[in-house]
Amino acid sequence: MASTSESEGQKEGDDPEDANKSNPSQDGTFECNICLDTAHDAVVSMCGHLFCWPCLHQWLETRPNRQTCPVCKAGISKEKVVPLYGRGNAKQEDPRTKVPPRPQGQRTEPENNGPFQSFNWGGDGGFQMSFGIGAFPFGLFASTVNLGGPRLPGAQPGTPQFEEEQFLSKLFLWVAILFIFWLLVA
Amino acid sequence: MASQNRDPAMPDVRAKPATTISNLNSKESHSVTKRLQQELMALMMCGDKGISAFPDGDNLFKWVGTIHGAQSTVYEGLTYKLSLEFPCAYPYQAPVVKFQTPCFHPNVDQSGNICLDILKEKWAASYDVRSILLSIQSLLGEPNNESPLNVQAADMWIDQTAYRKILHEKYETEVKSRN
Ligand SMILES: [Zn+2]
Ligand SMILES: [Zn+2]
Repeated sequence: MASTSESEGQKEGDDPEDANKSNPSQDGTFECNICLDTAHDAVVSMCGHLFCWPCLHQWLETRPNRQTCPVCKAGISKEKVVPLYGRGNAKQEDPRTKVPPRPQGQRTEPENNGPFQSFNWGGDGGFQMSFGIGAFPFGLFASTVNLGGPRLPGAQPGTPQFEEEQFLSKLFLWVAILFIFWLLVA
Repeated sequence: MASQNRDPAMPDVRAKPATTISNLNSKESHSVTKRLQQELMALMMCGDKGISAFPDGDNLFKWVGTIHGAQSTVYEGLTYKLSLEFPCAYPYQAPVVKFQTPCFHPNVDQSGNICLDILKEKWAASYDVRSILLSIQSLLGEPNNESPLNVQAADMWIDQTAYRKILHEKYETEVKSRN
């Protein structure tokens, strides 16, 4: 059974190459399907085809009404391409110097368990006021309720983490009180 | 530097896509040249049977292609020369491909114009000279008789024996007499 699926896999890997590549060399694997050169600022479409981002962008610009993959004619859009970041590409270029900017990768945060971590208090994240004032009281409510509840198992009393959480809890409580006060006054 | 140079041209390109060609800067025409060189390399390396192409003189934007009629089709044994002219916006725009050798075929007109979807609305930037020539080669053996440019050829296609006779006669008189 295993050998069957293996040979099938090999077939699938080889056939599209033969059909699409003008260049039968092994190096063709990471060549852009438009400029036929090694893909730079590489993006891959949902259908799995590799392009330089500038090449694909220009292709999409030239036909705004028919946005299809140049290789397989599948539907394609600027929003639904995934940038590829290789290792060791260390040249820190300002993305704004490039026309057009390559779309961002969509990074999904891993799921956290603690309710405290649902707010991004981390050093680099900062607190996002842009979530909107509408959702704010709910978050406050959920957090303040937790103040009286059982402690999270993660942080032991006396550890710096515990103190940090204590501090954050108090800070949060004060913010909540101030916020409710502000609501009452306004 | 590059973005600074491009900026003044950008609003024009957005507003009128038709002006794209005239606004191409040297960097872009360089990338077209580079791609055409890649294609030439690939064509010479892979050595396809029945098709070949080479730039017409020093001008890399104008090529001459050759197609041999595929085996077990009525076009077997016949050789056709084609011209390929690449726009500055290549490969985002299809090249203009024409038969130079007179070709009796349902989808080729008297002037050598070819009615082939991939050269028109179905063009894609991933097509290259090789795939164009291979497509035209298979078009010879499998015409689209629904919307013919040459109605006479389309009508005769059903009778392959008669078609072959006429085709080869025409080739003899129109092509071989030229050389
Ligand atoms: Zn490219
Ligand atoms: Zn595709």
